[in-house]
Amino acid sequence: MEIPYYDKERPDTGLYNGKAGIWLFLASEVMLFGALFSAYVLLRVGAEPGTWSMGLMNQWVGAFNTLILIASSATIVMAWVCLKLNDWKGFRKWKWATVIFAFTFLVVKWSYEWPAKFTHYDVTFVTEESASKVYTDVLGPEFSETQSKIWQERFDPLKKDQEKSPLAQVKLKDKPLDGHIVGYINSDGVEHEVGAAWGIPFWSHAFAWRHDRKNIEKEKDKSIRYGEDGRPVYKEGHFRDTFRDKDIKAIIFVPAHGTWDREEKHAGSGAVKYAGAKHDAGHAHSEGHDHTITIAREDISRLSSYEPAHSTFFATYYTLTGLHALHVLGGILVMLYHLLPVSRRVYEKNPVQFTNRIEITGLFWHFVDLVWIFLFPILYLL
Amino acid sequence: MSDEHSPEYYKKKFIPLIYLVGGILIAGTIITFAADKMGIAEKWGFVNAIIFAMSVAVVKASAVIYIFMHLKWDIKLKTISLTLGCTVIFFIGMMWLTVGREIDSNKPGHSDNTWSHVTEPEPETAPETK
Repeated sequence: MEIPYYDKERPDTGLYNGKAGIWLFLASEVMLFGALFSAYVLLRVGAEPGTWSMGLMNQWVGAFNTLILIASSATIVMAWVCLKLNDWKGFRKWKWATVIFAFTFLVVKWSYEWPAKFTHYDVTFVTEESASKVYTDVLGPEFSETQSKIWQERFDPLKKDQEKSPLAQVKLKDKPLDGHIVGYINSDGVEHEVGAAWGIPFWSHAFAWRHDRKNIEKEKDKSIRYGEDGRPVYKEGHFRDTFRDKDIKAIIFVPAHGTWDREEKHAGSGAVKYAGAKHDAGHAHSEGHDHTITIAREDISRLSSYEPAHSTFFATYYTLTGLHALHVLGGILVMLYHLLPVSRRVYEKNPVQFTNRIEITGLFWHFVDLVWIFLFPILYLL
Repeated sequence: MSDEHSPEYYKKKFIPLIYLVGGILIAGTIITFAADKMGIAEKWGFVNAIIFAMSVAVVKASAVIYIFMHLKWDIKLKTISLTLGCTVIFFIGMMWLTVGREIDSNKPGHSDNTWSHVTEPEPETAPETK
């Protein structure tokens, strides 16, 4: 059966069917993303002071990815124009450029931006005393003023008068200290280091959790087998590898950028400005650990990386950027299909039909760009 | 095709337009980014900063829709416009019904406690009776 109006206009709509279809699809996409944007706005407006984790995004990376998507939007139009001019080679050149830009966008997200968040932690303290003790270690005895200023910049930059800010009511123990776990001390007092990849301490309990679950022994009915101590039993040769399951006495922590100073770099670079913590003489911290502080487990009320469970902000951030990234991935797959030899045969058989397909792909890709145009200022800047 | 042009038009008019829109998008991104780095939210206030950033985003989005998505040349614009128009009206209606009222009751400065870090005392509950 021949599908009508795939290469010429349908009289009632004035569009070929594929184009009418993609616009209807984009209309449904507007509602999908629109609902998520609205949810974000509602959650943000209703958030309590000190709970909306703005100021933690890497704005340079966000801006770089914006420029990458803009470039891909221009190259995909160029590919379509080349087909209009019967230039197959030009089409392939610009199409490959679009795929490379799109792929770069995902690589930045997948290999740097998200992993960096999954290894970056917030430590919330149990009592005012425990918080005060750690902040004194990091900022010195006069920590209060500096700490308030840094906290204000992160969560409430618009209130110049700190006394009148609702944040003034937030207790010290509820103001998390952010940074990286670079090691831990177990109950026997033995110090362990946490591995690093590209200078980023590579440990996320979310990451480790997956590994952990995989190695749990199961009963015949597939339920988890528990030992006498009430904990899950692990397969022979495998060990508990989650942060929570390790018998940890203290964590070795590097206070990092974000809470402290946006201009700071990771401790490994030796450029940490505020995190000149006292060297803990009790433990043999050597090179690269000059800025670490040791926080006892009993002082920690909550420890969370910047994963979805961290806060409402990060839950919505991963939902929005994750859904957008899925669209980018879908676009890449379709564009790669258009670069296969089979597409050349379609083009030779009916150039108008193939050109229309490229136009439809382009319309989808521009929509993906449009979503990011709004996501960037909302999530990274405002 | 509704947006059919001559090869000359594509070469002399359309390709320069692509570069122009690309330039608008890059400039818009840089302006928004620079404005944030200069701290406009602190200087102008949060609401004005949002209006500014969203205005720049709307200009960028309009350029993409009008030129890249070639609505400018679609002589049967009414089909697409009607689709989009209906979508926007439907969406605004839906959001107003669900979200609009909620936001209205949670504005800063209103009498509710959303914007102050004060924990309401737990209401005393009567012991369960069997």
